[in-house]
Amino acid sequence: MIDPITAAALGVPSLTTDPARASAITSTQTAAANGAGSFADVLAQVGETTIDKLNTAEAAAIGGIRGDTGPREVAEAVMSAEQSLQIAIAVRDKVVSAYLEISRMAI
Amino acid sequence: MDPLTAAMRIAGSGLDAQSNRLRVVSENIANSQSTSRVAGGDPYQRKTISFGAELDRAAGVNLIKANQVGLDYSEFPIEFDPGNSAANDLGYVKMPNVNVLVEMADMREANRSYEANLQVVKQVRDLVSMTIELMRPS
Repeated sequence: MIDPITAAALGVPSLTTDPARASAITSTQTAAANGAGSFADVLAQVGETTIDKLNTAEAAAIGGIRGDTGPREVAEAVMSAEQSLQIAIAVRDKVVSAYLEISRMAI
Repeated sequence: MDPLTAAMRIAGSGLDAQSNRLRVVSENIANSQSTSRVAGGDPYQRKTISFGAELDRAAGVNLIKANQVGLDYSEFPIEFDPGNSAANDLGYVKMPNVNVLVEMADMREANRSYEANLQVVKQVRDLVSMTIELMRPS
């Protein structure tokens, strides 16, 4: 059940070149081999990085309004947070559609 | 480091460098008529800026960094203006060695470089968005 998703994730180079996510994927594979519920761990990690980046973007935006941070830093932080959020949403959509697919399976 | 993220960082350092250059240019233009406060003294001296590549060891890429702001040691042009408070005994005033036309050209170049780096940022962002878009159901 996890294998096709993991395989798809490994097929996208930008996911595997990121060391943190690559290690997360490897840990998924080893944990999947052990039979633990590790896909949830990966999701939790993605969520944590997203929240971290959103917090950074928020701090940068406040700094920008107060005049402490330049517009370039603010734009960079907000764009990075936006990307993380997009990734999180896309992964969530994929997970939900996978569960729906399973629920529709004929028994 | 992910190459697209690295490209974004490099373009960001370019934006930083060019904005520093624009700051120096604006200082020169604003002070293009600033004479000395004391009689016969030196006026505002034109500032220059240069750039150097800086290796970011963590990412393994060359960022750009503005070197220290230097001074232009060329001659000050002299004007006859006895009414000026900076005039010497003979009534001559030393004017800043700023050529506004040169500064304008420099500003335009900084502007173009900034735009080029912005274009890189935009392109990288579009590519990343398109890659994430792959995960969405069509």
